[in-house]
Amino acid sequence: MSTRTNKPIRAIAALTAVGALTLAACSSDPDTENSSPEPVTSPAVDDAAIAEAMSTPTTIDFWTWVPDIQNEVDLFEAEYPDITVNVQNVGQGGEHYTKVRTALEAGDGGPDVMQMEYQYVSSFVLTNSLLNLKEYGADGVQDQFVPWVWSQVSDDAHVWAIPQDSGPVGTLYREDIFAEAGLDGSPETWAEFASAAQQVKEETGSYITNFASNEPGAFLSLLWQAGASPFSFDGSETLGISLNNDRSKEVVAYWQDLVQNDLVGVDPDFTDTWYQGLANGTYASWQTAAWGPLFLQGTAADTSGLWRAAPLPQWDASAPSAGNWGGSSTAVLANTDAPIAASEFAKWLNTNAESTEMFANEQFLFPTRTEILESPEFTSDELEFYGGQRVNEVFAEISATVDSDFQWLPIADYVFGSFNETIGAAIAERGDLLAGLDEWQADVVEYATAQGFTVVES
Amino acid sequence: MTISAQKAAQQGRRTSLARGRSRTAYLLLTPFILVFLAMLVVPLVYSGYLSMFKRTLVGGETFVGLQNIISVFTDQRFLEGVGRMTVFFVVQVPIMLGLALFIALALDSGRVRAARASRLAVFIPYAVPGVVATLMWGYLYGPDFSPIAQAFKAVGLTPPDLLSSNLILASMMNIVTWEFVGYNMIIMFAALRTIPLESLEAAQIDGAGQIRTALSIKIPAIRQAIMLTLIFSVIGTFQLFNEPSLLSKIAPNVIGTSYTPNLYAYSLAFVNQDPNYAAAVAFVLGALIMTVSYVVQLRGRRKVSA
Amino acid sequence: MSFFSTETARKSKSLSDVRRRKRTSKLTTVLVWACAAYFLLPLLWLAISSTKSNSDLFSTFGFAFGNEFALFDNIASVFTFQDGVFLRWVGNTVLYAGTSALIATALATAAGYAFAKYDFGGKAAIFAVVLGSIMIPLTALALPTYLMFSGMGLTNTPWAVILPSVVSPFGVFLMRVYATDSVPDQVIEAARIDGSSELSIFFRFGVPLMAPGMVTVFLFALVATWNNYFLPLIMLSDSALYPLTVGLAQWQSMSAAGGGSQALFSTVITGSFISIVPLIVVFLYLQKFWQSGLAAGSVKE
Repeated sequence: MSTRTNKPIRAIAALTAVGALTLAACSSDPDTENSSPEPVTSPAVDDAAIAEAMSTPTTIDFWTWVPDIQNEVDLFEAEYPDITVNVQNVGQGGEHYTKVRTALEAGDGGPDVMQMEYQYVSSFVLTNSLLNLKEYGADGVQDQFVPWVWSQVSDDAHVWAIPQDSGPVGTLYREDIFAEAGLDGSPETWAEFASAAQQVKEETGSYITNFASNEPGAFLSLLWQAGASPFSFDGSETLGISLNNDRSKEVVAYWQDLVQNDLVGVDPDFTDTWYQGLANGTYASWQTAAWGPLFLQGTAADTSGLWRAAPLPQWDASAPSAGNWGGSSTAVLANTDAPIAASEFAKWLNTNAESTEMFANEQFLFPTRTEILESPEFTSDELEFYGGQRVNEVFAEISATVDSDFQWLPIADYVFGSFNETIGAAIAERGDLLAGLDEWQADVVEYATAQGFTVVES
Repeated sequence: MTISAQKAAQQGRRTSLARGRSRTAYLLLTPFILVFLAMLVVPLVYSGYLSMFKRTLVGGETFVGLQNIISVFTDQRFLEGVGRMTVFFVVQVPIMLGLALFIALALDSGRVRAARASRLAVFIPYAVPGVVATLMWGYLYGPDFSPIAQAFKAVGLTPPDLLSSNLILASMMNIVTWEFVGYNMIIMFAALRTIPLESLEAAQIDGAGQIRTALSIKIPAIRQAIMLTLIFSVIGTFQLFNEPSLLSKIAPNVIGTSYTPNLYAYSLAFVNQDPNYAAAVAFVLGALIMTVSYVVQLRGRRKVSA
Repeated sequence: MSFFSTETARKSKSLSDVRRRKRTSKLTTVLVWACAAYFLLPLLWLAISSTKSNSDLFSTFGFAFGNEFALFDNIASVFTFQDGVFLRWVGNTVLYAGTSALIATALATAAGYAFAKYDFGGKAAIFAVVLGSIMIPLTALALPTYLMFSGMGLTNTPWAVILPSVVSPFGVFLMRVYATDSVPDQVIEAARIDGSSELSIFFRFGVPLMAPGMVTVFLFALVATWNNYFLPLIMLSDSALYPLTVGLAQWQSMSAAGGGSQALFSTVITGSFISIVPLIVVFLYLQKFWQSGLAAGSVKE
């Protein structure tokens, strides 16, 4: 066997040589990476064009993760029998957008219409990947929507998506645990919340809540509530990034105390540990979005009747405010072959009375249309899980207090990913949150600068 | 016909035959070589090519030559990932291969009851996809209600947080060990089975016990098989992806986007939207793995000849 | 270099087995079975857990059955969730793994035979390159391959998963060793004298004699593709094209994503359990073949 010993050595040498040769020979490879489609300059469409498009046999690919959305799509197809909507679920969270970008990069195989969370809109605007729905009559439906939600998908000259659901943030709490701790309902201010945290810990051993170490969306909703607007984007090259502005430092310093004194949990959310914590009373409340009540009902069924809903504690009880966490919209891709049909579908899906009622009352997506938010059928729904409380009404009132000015950066993936490694890690270790906040700021700024943006820190 | 007659008959037609035969050889080789070039060599070259450009979200694409490759070598995140994998390699691979070798030797010694069943038991995890293995162990590592935590609580101890930053690497090593001991064991075991009985009998006549036979005859005899498993382990370790990627969902603050070099390349390409730099990382990683494999082989040889 | 024929190996094995069986050692047995327990217990946990409902999963002891026996409910939910996409994933996995393993085996058999039985120009160099390429990290290659495929419009098709999986340098190496051993030169010479063409010798004598080696290469290629996660993850965007690994990971992450998601733990666990059964069965069923194939290949480098 020893005669063969130097074979692999020669093999590597040979291989490297082949690599080097072909490398040199290949430098004229044409660039196949040309991506972003031209900005759209479609003429405004008239009713005749719409009528024609909607009676021409067309297939629209629609990528979404919303469970049972096929039901609304069926309604649409019944009304427009010539249009076929092909619903596909390619994953949820970051994966969904990765897949869309991959398809855009490849030049085909992508959807015509996509589910789009609000924080991702600008990243697709940046790459000119979205159709400006303003040119397809989206202005006409603006009045139907809650103003702050509409501002998440539009600016003066553009409408990038039609809102579908939203997530104004409130509090869900265990009334029994709060009562055991001597609390009468959910605290109205954050100051009261801090002393309540002490009480809950002492009297019941539970944490008043879990301050998730992996949930930038929830964290930012708290900044949003506090009016600490950390982002701005001018639509082309300039980003304003101030994650560690004075207001957000106050918010973080507040949580730093609770975290350091072991008064709140610091587990990552949506993990099995966390589900368990909600189900067994380890956490006595959850600061969550309007989609939270139904979600909780599904995962902590054994605690039915023990929960109640309330607004978030306030910084200033005389001027209640709230942030948003989650929710999504329907956007049309700029490279679609059927811009009219796709736009009409996006509008119809989120404005048609039957479709939006079904979203709200059967799939429990929290509505963005004022009409549904105010409809008795929606607000008067009494949930047994919450002791018969009208939970929708609580969140509809919260929705009215959400600030309209909050903006996102077009690099949401990076901002969210970086959270886990900076301030999120500090939370998980019950370490220095303010230092973590500074790290987060620095990391995002570094990335944005490297990507060629002009960054304004303030 | 005798063999010498065959040879004589062959002699006359040698030149034309030889040409025909090498044509057949090339014919048989061509399909493999084609996919080999297309699926191994071309992507390798292509990643080198891609790495020579820089693309930013604002400003587009520019040619930067070797700059990306050079910056990989000073990239803190990449180096930390490589460092982590080096620790992983130094600790986990000896345990995994040692365990595999022990089981292979024990089974080969014939001193184990129900040997065939135990051999299959050890091998079965290999048939479990890494994704499933990781999901499964992820549940088993849960700090509150997993059987491991329950066992600790049952005897009155605080269960360790197997998903914390201190223990996550060890937890990952355990998963990989669980997955691949069987595979390595089977390769070694198969090699042991081909050692001729005569040399073992000779050792027995000399009065060598099982352990001495293993050390002085069996292990040297399957040196090549062990080397093979070692090379596979180098490759497997340095391109670790499934385990950290899936565990990062339940330990998001512990496993960052650059926890392993491969995870880093993936998130560069798909999260940071920087395929060019991702290609540079993949290229350097590939070169690194080949270098380490090569060094491992070289050292293995030296040890034997010394 | 000394080659032992597979014949000798097998004979010595059975001889020694007869002799060895007489003296089992308690200590060794206990140690080996302790190891075996380490490998089996997690799978036992998986099997038991797939009979539990979501809430039992988190409230009952891991190795005991839950309050209700939910196996059939879980199986039903695995096969009906998202319009029964799981069954498609099973089909896709079989398709990708089966096709690429078949092609990989065919290519490796032809190439291995050529290396073993012919002399031709550049043989040593080509074989050296192939052998050296075992060291190329395939996962690191997946990314450039993806970028290349996306330029060619091949991403999001079954080919994107199958094509990169048909190259098996280790298979070529194994088949070369196996062909050297199992196809005697005399057989080839005799067939040549009978006037058989080179190709028909390969198909009529070579292939049948190499069958156990081919089964080995096939199985290992099958497992490699069956278990692959990274490649299909980056190549495929349509969930109807996913293999089991990517699909299950997606279900798991649905439980861990924010708005509109649902806790699917019992479904994921049961799906995982179902997904590992076919490969285990194949391995058990074909063990005689692949073990002898490996025995021939593993020592000789």
